[in-house]
Amino acid sequence: MNHTRQVVFYAPKHGNTEAEWEDGAAAAPAAGDGRGPRFAVADGATQGFGSARWAQQLVAGFVGDQGAAPDLTAAALHRWASDMQGRWHDDPRLAGATDLQRLKQATVGSFATFLGCELRDLAGPRPRWTAVAVGDAVLFHVRGHRVVSQFPPIPPEGFGSNPDGLPTHAAGLADMVGRASFAEGDLADGDLLYLATDAFAQWVAAADRRDPRALWTTLAALDHPEAFRALVAGRRAAREMVNDDVTLLRVRLDRRPAEHLVVCL
Amino acid sequence: MEKYRQSVSRSAPGCVVILLDRSDSMKLAWGRTGASLADGAALAVNNILLDMCIKATTEVNAPVRHYFDVGIFSYGARVTEPGEGVESAFGGALAGRGLVPLPELAEHPMAVREEPSIDLMPVAARMPVWVDPLHGHRTPMCQAIAVAGAHVFDWAAAHPDSFPPIVVNITDGMVTDSPYDGATLQDWARRLTSIETNDGATLFFNVFLSPFEVTEIVFPSDPGGLPPPGPDLFALSSPLPRPMADNARVDGYDVRPGARGLAFNVGRSTLLRVLQIGTRVPDRAR
Repeated sequence: MNHTRQVVFYAPKHGNTEAEWEDGAAAAPAAGDGRGPRFAVADGATQGFGSARWAQQLVAGFVGDQGAAPDLTAAALHRWASDMQGRWHDDPRLAGATDLQRLKQATVGSFATFLGCELRDLAGPRPRWTAVAVGDAVLFHVRGHRVVSQFPPIPPEGFGSNPDGLPTHAAGLADMVGRASFAEGDLADGDLLYLATDAFAQWVAAADRRDPRALWTTLAALDHPEAFRALVAGRRAAREMVNDDVTLLRVRLDRRPAEHLVVCL
Repeated sequence: MEKYRQSVSRSAPGCVVILLDRSDSMKLAWGRTGASLADGAALAVNNILLDMCIKATTEVNAPVRHYFDVGIFSYGARVTEPGEGVESAFGGALAGRGLVPLPELAEHPMAVREEPSIDLMPVAARMPVWVDPLHGHRTPMCQAIAVAGAHVFDWAAAHPDSFPPIVVNITDGMVTDSPYDGATLQDWARRLTSIETNDGATLFFNVFLSPFEVTEIVFPSDPGGLPPPGPDLFALSSPLPRPMADNARVDGYDVRPGARGLAFNVGRSTLLRVLQIGTRVPDRAR
């Protein structure tokens, strides 16, 4: 039996407040219906309206915290995303919107890259991850100091140009779901999964080319939000990382169950 | 280090200034629209201000973000007193103001009213209005650059790490006050574009309106073939920096090396597109 231990690190854009982080991240343990542990990250469009709500709703929905979680098929993803859109538009908080806010909600809406992952057969003969991605949030599957697989396989220079993501408006949804990609990979004891939104993922992809041992040692050892933020601030200052909201969800597979719950204050 | 790379944020807001010709010739009808050049220019300015407010609107119960300080200065006829001159073109609560933070701009349109579609579609929509059309007198463009330049100078000094100020001049005519205060129009443009932030020099773009339906020339890389005052405006206009050139290419313009921030003989919808291209500064798509 494999157990999972996960932690989420995040930081808003430099110059923005904590509340203006427009990514989302969520995790949920295995459900009673046979579904495995789920993890998701999303990155809301800076120029959208209600982008943080949209990104955070998508990740919460995927792990089953808002309505029924989707299966990892295109058809199920489409039904689920339609439901998410309806919930986003019906948010009671919108009752207080100004004319300008209503105009932007109606004409622009929002959009988010999305990456969802489920771990399956953790007690069985073939433990594995299976994932869906729309856009350039990335999963890195790492064993030791080596990337076993990267999904989607975007090179460092390929970030920032991918327009895919889940929209809040119905019009573009079918097209975007049609562009979703799916993948899976076999897991082993001690493996690590990193789910990252684009700015951090881009830096990881580049750093993995330069010095993978240093990179994966650093990321595996992150043990406090401030350590993550210091890493991000340093890489931004060195102009290695774009000034964007960043999110890193780390999942560690271990045969031993967790003995402690760590809360960072 | 490459310039014009700074993205706009509240910690490093941008600055957009529009110089709006309100001279007598702006009374001429603009192509088939039936409305005057002054009407169309005011409509385009109000549209671009609304665009900027919309982009900075991010969430319910949250204020419009302070991404820009915005100034609109008119030259020609004045609202505040009879005669010719340069003044803030804002009406209502913002009358007389120089550079206004975007959240304050969003809060204080002079009116919300039915306005025609800028692309001549037979529809109208209620929209906020900050600037009214007006025309009369001559074209004191030098003085307009001088007045705007003073604001831009102070702004750049206060925002050394921001994307440089963007000044867009919308005109249909020839300057009538050169030399002004001992300096020619070229001198005033040079003074304006010598104002810098750490990210580059102030950008000075020009849009020339024509009442006739003639061929539009947008972002030329060569002044050859431009009728007067095209070559002069070409010389005054800043080269398009990479972010704007990229914006223009995305919008379908054939932007060649050496292209200038000049649009000549443009129609109403092109005016708005040029304003959108010229005021869209580096940003992360997500």
